[in-house]
Amino acid sequence: MKTFVVLIFSFVLVCAVVCAQAPEHVVKAKVAMAPVAARPDSVVKATVVAEVLPGYHINDHHPTLDYLIPTEIKLDPNKAVTRNDITYPKGEPRKFAFSDTPLSVYEGTVRVEVAFQLDPKALPGDYEVKGKFAYQACNDHACLPPTSVPISFPLKVARRGASRSRSE
Amino acid sequence: MDLNQPESSANGGTPQPTDPGAQPARAVSRGRLLVGAVLAVIVVAGLYFVNRYWIHPAVMIQANGDSEHPDAPGISLTDIQGKRLDLADYKGKVVVLDFWATWCGPCRAEIPGFVVMQEKYASQGFSLIGISMDDDAAPVVDFYKEFRMNYPVAVGNQRIGELYGGILGLPTTFLIGRDGRIYAKHTGGINPAIIEEEVQQLLAMSPTAEKSDFRPAMVAGTETRIALGDPAAIDSEIPGLNLSKLTAEQKEALKKQLGDQHCPCGCNLTVLKCRQVDRACQVSLKLARVQIEKLPKSGS
Repeated sequence: MKTFVVLIFSFVLVCAVVCAQAPEHVVKAKVAMAPVAARPDSVVKATVVAEVLPGYHINDHHPTLDYLIPTEIKLDPNKAVTRNDITYPKGEPRKFAFSDTPLSVYEGTVRVEVAFQLDPKALPGDYEVKGKFAYQACNDHACLPPTSVPISFPLKVARRGASRSRSE
Repeated sequence: MDLNQPESSANGGTPQPTDPGAQPARAVSRGRLLVGAVLAVIVVAGLYFVNRYWIHPAVMIQANGDSEHPDAPGISLTDIQGKRLDLADYKGKVVVLDFWATWCGPCRAEIPGFVVMQEKYASQGFSLIGISMDDDAAPVVDFYKEFRMNYPVAVGNQRIGELYGGILGLPTTFLIGRDGRIYAKHTGGINPAIIEEEVQQLLAMSPTAEKSDFRPAMVAGTETRIALGDPAAIDSEIPGLNLSKLTAEQKEALKKQLGDQHCPCGCNLTVLKCRQVDRACQVSLKLARVQIEKLPKSGS
């Protein structure tokens, strides 16, 4: 029993040291969207779901202070898409030791809504819109450099005359 | 009551002869198996995390002397005022080398304290040096003026960060003694009073004092065993790989192999190109290291 307790304690210590090291990826991002075909000239919606490692935060898309680097989704142009509308969530105000002002930040699960306006002339087929979820993360004491994780949105354009297969 | 007699069975029948030790032995054995299994899981999980987050990153840095008080790697830059900034010119002074950025809240919070420290100790042979890790100088210049910084500041680069062991978080602050050796490294914002106390120690140290006489403040984020980068690997044709022991033929073979191999990090480049354009990519670095290990030894 004593050995068991000692080993548990040692494991917790190891984990504490491990957690003290800067992690390689503070944010993981994935895309959630229904895998259905949409007619040209319709709007396809998707959600980027980002998970911020506990203990870290990333800045609101509209940061409280102008020197902070905002969280942003950057999308590559795609011939099937004429416009992207991105709706960012509101951040949570958090007070940090290094700032007199509470800062609006994202922590935990962050959901960003993306709406693609399909080109009326888009030909039927599969398309992929590539992009990045760009962020800059800090914990209470230190900041990591700005970075990004790749994301991609698979779009399926139906034939013009096809019956509607997803609601707009 | 005779305790050596077996108890009657529950249904009142004739009790069967039993080995008094059998039941307890089986329970103990199952208990031990369970404990052993749990311990094994803990050890395996612990080793995974230690390797993933501690040993692996340390190996990746290719430390050039993971020891206490290594020589501070040379820095030669032009500061934001257009003057030459060479760390070698500060030999004989105590230096606080501060890696920071204008977008870093904890970094900005430290700087007023550093300005006061510079004013207070400059006459005793002390200087702060700021290495900004901003992408360009414009915000640094604005910040320098707004905060009335009174010590040299230059915009750094990835090479300098790698020479100093990889700057994993900002601010990262190195305490360098008059002998040009690093005495402490602090990662993360730190109470300026703590840095000041360490500066005072280094200023007071006589040239004959033992390095071990220095007592760094052991707060979270402090290191005294400083892992630095390998200049031969950092400045290599294939960043991250020390090619100095390879023959010309081996180098060419390695470059061809890495040039033919696709990097799976998502860059759409070969491993060789990825190493050259994205030194921070751990995927191409790991693949390149695997290939260099596979090279036939020269002469074989």
